[in-house]
Amino acid sequence: MDKNIINSGSITYALRGRDVLRNNGCKAYMFRNSGKSAVGCGYSISTNCSKQDIERILQKEKVKYISIVSGEET
Amino acid sequence: MIYLDNAATTFPKPQNVISAVNNCLKKYSANPGRSSHKLSQKASEEIYLCRNKLSEFFGADSPENVVFTTNCTTAINMVLKGVLQPHDHVICSSYEHNAVLRPLNKLSAYGVEYDIARVFPENPTSTVHSFEALIKNNTKLIICTHASNVNGVVLPIKELGELARRYKIKFAVDAAQSAGVLPINMKEMNIDYLCIAPHKGLYAPMGTGILISNSDIQNTIIEGGTGSMSKLPLQPDFLPDRLESGTVNLSGIYGISAGVDFVKSKGVGNIYQKEFKLISRVYNAFSKIPQIKMYNHIFELGKTAPVLSFNIDGKDCEEVGQALNNMGVAVRTGFHCAPLAHKTIGTEEQGTVRVCPSAFTSDLDIDYFIHSIKMLIKT
Repeated sequence: MDKNIINSGSITYALRGRDVLRNNGCKAYMFRNSGKSAVGCGYSISTNCSKQDIERILQKEKVKYISIVSGEET
Repeated sequence: MIYLDNAATTFPKPQNVISAVNNCLKKYSANPGRSSHKLSQKASEEIYLCRNKLSEFFGADSPENVVFTTNCTTAINMVLKGVLQPHDHVICSSYEHNAVLRPLNKLSAYGVEYDIARVFPENPTSTVHSFEALIKNNTKLIICTHASNVNGVVLPIKELGELARRYKIKFAVDAAQSAGVLPINMKEMNIDYLCIAPHKGLYAPMGTGILISNSDIQNTIIEGGTGSMSKLPLQPDFLPDRLESGTVNLSGIYGISAGVDFVKSKGVGNIYQKEFKLISRVYNAFSKIPQIKMYNHIFELGKTAPVLSFNIDGKDCEEVGQALNNMGVAVRTGFHCAPLAHKTIGTEEQGTVRVCPSAFTSDLDIDYFIHSIKMLIKT
């Protein structure tokens, strides 16, 4: 099963992204990332959705994100 | 005390608002959007829920466009100072509050031009023409109150939104007096920026404000910590973080959320009809008293918010306010921070006595108020 992490700059987008993914049948939960990225503190979503599906769903719902990475939480 | 100063802030607050604020302070008062612990996340979830509610309630494009501020004045300042640049032109109405006029006056020192459009309370088409006649090549924004805080005149917001859209001008609405009382849908009314005083018609605690921004705001008036993009010196370029620096008023936001639930449970239309019926009783009673002069140029369902301004012959408005206070009635007297509106209705020298009911005002309250005024005239 896929496991992808969506990094978001904003908690509001992270929460909306989580809800949008759940509404589209994905498992998703939000967590605070450790701020090791170049931009600092932020929130991320862990999901079992494929990268293609994530991009399609979030783009359709106009949810902004910084990056999608596969694997474990950072 | 019979409280008829609801145009300043509604009182009492509904029990569900009081419980929500209490509950927040007792159980969930952690800093939202800053930490990874459960309490902080719970607080963040509640704020997000509130953004969602407000977005849906006012027809915003999306929940992240809902920005929490400290009051409606701050929201208006964010729009005016965030959108307008030197040499831009802006049009406001002849019923504006100082929340609009004073920032415009300040901006005029930096090269922003502004004009004031006359409002024709009985003829919305003439009001729209009055705005249209002032549009210039550099007009960037139209800003106006939805309903006057002095005499309840309702401006033709939908038609002004259409005008702004036709000329590709941004449209901002000061809904301090109307949110929760009159229907507002940003999409249907072509509103780009909606400024709200939730402690009034949404029955939230004071110290809260809302800006719903469906369009870009280029400049910020406050920068700082947002809990996001923290390694960068630049303010985030996305909403709500761009306009929401520093810790937000969590318990106030819990109160807003509960206030929206309260208003939805009653229905905006029902609240307005009830309040209009109550203020109509005052209007009808006062119409029969020759010593009373009212300043509501129009008094019609849909065209007037439940706000009434009056004076008693030979009595200063402050004197009337004090006498009513002594009789157990709370009203607002003076100029209501809206000298332009008072100039428009011809009361710039004496001010007025203003009354405004809420969802909690009863027929008995209104009876007592009318009786008190009659007694006052006799003395």
